[in-house]
Amino acid sequence: MLGLLAMWFGVFAPFAIFTATRSLRRIRASNGELRGAASATAGLVAGVLGMVVIVAGVAYWILAV
Amino acid sequence: MIRQALLVLVVTLVALLTYPGAMLASFATRITAAPAAARGPAGALPWLHVQRRAGQIPYIADEEGRMVLLHGATPASLLEFGPSNSAAYPLEPAAYEGGQCPANKASSKYPPLCQADLAQMARLGFNLMRLPLSWSLLEPERGSFNQTYLDRVAQIVDWAGDEHIYVIVDIHQNGYSNYVGASDSSVDLGQYSGAPPWATITDGFASHVYQKQREVNPAVLEATTNFWYDRNGIQDEYLAALAFIAKRFRDDPVVVGYGIYNEPLIGWGLPPGYEDLLLFPFYRRAIDAITGAHDGLPCWSGFFMPAVCGYRGLGAGDARHLIFLDTGLLREVTDFPTHLSMPVSSYPNVVLALHAYTHFYTIDHLLPNLVSSSSYPWGGYDQSYSLAEHEARSMDAALFVTEFGNPPGDDGRLLASQVVEQEIHRTGFAFWTWKENGSGPWGVYAPPVASTDSSGCLRADREQLLARVYPRATADTSVTFRYDSGDGSFQLHASGRRGDPPTVVYVPPEVSGSVNVSGGAEGSESDSPDGSRLVFATPTGGKFNVYVSPAPPVLAGC
Repeated sequence: MLGLLAMWFGVFAPFAIFTATRSLRRIRASNGELRGAASATAGLVAGVLGMVVIVAGVAYWILAV
Repeated sequence: MIRQALLVLVVTLVALLTYPGAMLASFATRITAAPAAARGPAGALPWLHVQRRAGQIPYIADEEGRMVLLHGATPASLLEFGPSNSAAYPLEPAAYEGGQCPANKASSKYPPLCQADLAQMARLGFNLMRLPLSWSLLEPERGSFNQTYLDRVAQIVDWAGDEHIYVIVDIHQNGYSNYVGASDSSVDLGQYSGAPPWATITDGFASHVYQKQREVNPAVLEATTNFWYDRNGIQDEYLAALAFIAKRFRDDPVVVGYGIYNEPLIGWGLPPGYEDLLLFPFYRRAIDAITGAHDGLPCWSGFFMPAVCGYRGLGAGDARHLIFLDTGLLREVTDFPTHLSMPVSSYPNVVLALHAYTHFYTIDHLLPNLVSSSSYPWGGYDQSYSLAEHEARSMDAALFVTEFGNPPGDDGRLLASQVVEQEIHRTGFAFWTWKENGSGPWGVYAPPVASTDSSGCLRADREQLLARVYPRATADTSVTFRYDSGDGSFQLHASGRRGDPPTVVYVPPEVSGSVNVSGGAEGSESDSPDGSRLVFATPTGGKFNVYVSPAPPVLAGC
């Protein structure tokens, strides 16, 4: 959910990336007890997309020539 | 497997509907070919366009590539206001032919706009008029456009051409629409204009004004939001109305361009998503509709179109006029860009339209208990201009001040500061407003003494500050110039190569100082019957200067 929000509001992107990364680590460490790797990966991808957009947008603004 | 595919689909879909899609559509415009434009037919004035030079902000240019500065004002007589919800003056051009002018109405916010007004504008050195129109008069019934209204606009454009004045045809609104209704006495519908009743969808929200600001009204916010989300296809109708205007003026260079939407309101949205995902994508679609540019993805129409969506050309094929894009009301009250300032369109003739109301409509003045004018805007008057220049460069657009103004008592502080910034940033202006009735009006002219007069006297302070010495055209886009309205002196510093077209400096009748052209340019002067002068500085190579010596301004007054 944070990942999807990150694509509307870039401010959520770092939280989405942090949450998704932590979830993936916990899922891997659980030896199959925890599920949801696909959702966490989707959240990570969406969070990264949101982050790329905000970084690219701000960088473009600063460097615009 | 199905779950994973669904997740990929959801992420892709949301990405397309939000910032990633908006950004893709935006940056794709940088590699999309601009719509083809043949040289425009000759008209009463030369065609203008937006020109680019490496490392510089795009600028409005003439056919010789010179930077052109436009000075002017905004007569608002063609707008429809509530609660009467009808045009204040006849729309039939016959009522104005042969120098006729309908009697002024005290009940109308603005006096009628007549042929004599154009001569008065020219006398002040204005070479531009911003002409606001009401969508409600243009398309009173859905799908049915008012030809008589456009005939009236064409009549004014013809008068303007005769006086060498360009016209921005501006689709205007104030508080979304004069049809938002009034739930109580807090709403003065005489301050509202814009959308026709069939495009004003308030969903039963109360029309009540908070904080004495007409825009802070639930009915206005709801109706505005419905427009941005294209409820019932009303945004499509707006685009069709724009195309209707463009079809009429496609071949007329006196119309310098179109103002797409005045002071867009945020509705219930939030920045920067409102601007980046709704407003500027709407602008892109408007440009597509007018010019036939093909930016954005082909999409459906008739209901909400996400940022990635472009729009089909609507048959106007007008690929020569300038398109003025208002930065939005939120930017106006903050003097600060409230979005990412990405490129909007592959169409080259885009102008970012700034409304400069520092210390009057900025938050320090609107919320004095929260924000102090001594500390905000933190960059002073220059903040809005410097940031707007950066925004325009970022959007690959030229910059122009389509509105600024203030109560007459504040001229020494507000108006004087704005015109200095405009010189520093080499931007033209359209002053708000030309003439105005009633108490507390902002017009260049004072309100009339007799109710049937079209106006009172030309205000001395405004004549002194707005009838300026300025370069109308110059090949040097790094030109610097400064007019001192106190002592009538002027200095311009530029450089050029032999063969460059001349720099043309306008000297109004109010300024009587002698002119001197020095350095690498040959000077010549031509006098006009109204007492104004044009100075031509033709470069011979290197740096050159144009000076006007100090002499007390001679004001025309009444």
